[in-house]
Amino acid sequence: MLLRYVLKRLGVGALQLAGLTVAVFFLIRWLPADPVSRLVSMNASDEAYAQAAAQLGLDRPLLTQLAVYLGFRPDLEPGILQGSLGVSWVTGSAITQDILQFLPVTLELITISFVIAFLVSIPLGMLGALNPGGRADKGVFFYGLFAGSQPEFWWGLLFVFLFFFKLGWAPAPLGSLSPMSMAPVPVTGFITVDTLIAGQPRLFVEALHHLMLPVITLVFVLSGPIVKMVRQNMLRALQSDFVLYANCLGLPRRRVARYALRAAMGPSLTLIGILYGFMLSGAVLVENVFSLGGIGQYAVRSVLSFDYPAIQGVVLVITAISLLVYLLLDLVHAAIDPRISHR
Amino acid sequence: MSRAEIAAASTEGAQRAPAFDTARRFDPLLIVGTLIVATVCLLAVWGPVIGPYDPTLTTASVAVPPPSPSEVPGLLIAQFSGQLEMPPHWMGTDANGYDVFSRVIAAPRADLTIALLATALSAILGVGLGLLAGYFRNIATELLMRVSDVMQSFPVFISAMVLVALAGRSTTNIVIALAFVYTPIFVRLTRAEVLSQRSRGFVESARALGTSELTIAIRHVLPNSLTPALIQLSVTVGFAILLTAGLSFVGAGVRPPTPEWGLMISTGANQIILGEWWPSVFPGIAISLTVFGFAALGNVVERRHDA
Repeated sequence: MLLRYVLKRLGVGALQLAGLTVAVFFLIRWLPADPVSRLVSMNASDEAYAQAAAQLGLDRPLLTQLAVYLGFRPDLEPGILQGSLGVSWVTGSAITQDILQFLPVTLELITISFVIAFLVSIPLGMLGALNPGGRADKGVFFYGLFAGSQPEFWWGLLFVFLFFFKLGWAPAPLGSLSPMSMAPVPVTGFITVDTLIAGQPRLFVEALHHLMLPVITLVFVLSGPIVKMVRQNMLRALQSDFVLYANCLGLPRRRVARYALRAAMGPSLTLIGILYGFMLSGAVLVENVFSLGGIGQYAVRSVLSFDYPAIQGVVLVITAISLLVYLLLDLVHAAIDPRISHR
Repeated sequence: MSRAEIAAASTEGAQRAPAFDTARRFDPLLIVGTLIVATVCLLAVWGPVIGPYDPTLTTASVAVPPPSPSEVPGLLIAQFSGQLEMPPHWMGTDANGYDVFSRVIAAPRADLTIALLATALSAILGVGLGLLAGYFRNIATELLMRVSDVMQSFPVFISAMVLVALAGRSTTNIVIALAFVYTPIFVRLTRAEVLSQRSRGFVESARALGTSELTIAIRHVLPNSLTPALIQLSVTVGFAILLTAGLSFVGAGVRPPTPEWGLMISTGANQIILGEWWPSVFPGIAISLTVFGFAALGNVVERRHDA
């Protein structure tokens, strides 16, 4: 039953990804940008221009280009079906390799931020919901509204000014390790894990220190919608019959609150999925502020240099990850909420 | 997925949760929101002309810090008694010599115009398509929903960036890109509402009277299905401002020297680790307040509707 559900979801996801790949492929080629003239010099001859275009495979008919990209023409070049996302037009490196290098940085940053944002937001949201209409509730409500509508890149810069320039507590926003340190051999790509594998606790602490400000920035903007959501779902759960019943039995307030929290977490999971998917591309700005070298910065670089295969690869990978996260959360939701069944 | 959708999802089912009973009483959010939004709207009209300097021209003074709070009263008196040759730089000047204050108050023209146009465009498109998809259930509208699903699974920030960078960094293209990413929300909200309205009694009455299906959809179902989209408007404007600023911040937004908050923050970003905080801090405060103002108004509308 469960297996069939998962397979069905994966199948639908694969179709969605295929549709998206084709859509992105045509969309970026339909837009009036000229990537070739970016690569050849301004006053290149027509021959040089044509040669550059041929090198990128742009002289082939559009449908052949698509077939090559998807991997139906392995005789010409390997494509997606062969597990290759193509070669960057600007740097010449394999996109799959690039993404494997940059993606873990982003995943690490947003996963840590999510965990902390949750640890901060659940008590805050509960505080508000347990005293509806009170001063604490109004404060929590205002915080949620405010934090949920802030320019995260600006807060990042503000934190850099305060904690790096003024107070000196944080390192300069120039990457995930100090420029003097040797990065550990990448095994997983997650810098905190890699430093531990390499047995270098000093580097581990340094990596955490460099992650501090970006994580604080993301926790701040993420906590807005999460606080709002926990508060609202809690309020609803507290009004339900089982809470009334528990109160009538004279159960302690803490225990009732715990029951209500469990009921409130189910619907919250959907939002987490949406937020996580949003953050995969939303972390672009924070990565740029702190020069972390994640997938977002890679995306900016590729877009600004008209590197079509790289753009396609990034969009495809980010969407695939969001779809996977949605699926995982739906499974978790079913595990903690017995009312949900998978058909 | 976009911030606007997150805002929508995080308040889903809010109807049954008790909000504060502010329907008739003094509501600070309404007042603050209205004040901020009204100020930004006024600045969008007059901001570029009332500043002390031309917002698109550099001055000879580069990276001048703003006057310290203790100097402000003296400078104000001096300015209004006409003792100064040049008006003071209230918020300093940036590394290129632009007067920050003039640019901060001129920026709403770009930011608000883009955000309002993009929101209006996506709302009109989204409501229209949502009405079609909800009222007429056939292969074409089913296809429309699948396309909308695919569009919705695009990463918002990156797709907006791709659209603007490849189509050319013009205001029109930014508006189109933003409308592209925000349309699916309106499609979904309207379609859901239409689905719940299409089998109501008034629809059947109209049909019994011989009204054509298209007329029923436009004259009777549409006005009854607008509420969710209207509630979403104010919040979307706020988030559109954030997205516009974010795009300029990474270099895929409006072109310099257009006064725009995100662009100003990005100009100042390189200097902030050297301690020159003013070129980015002031425009940031402006964005922060503006988006909060729109979110607050959106929240008030939402609560009053539920009450």
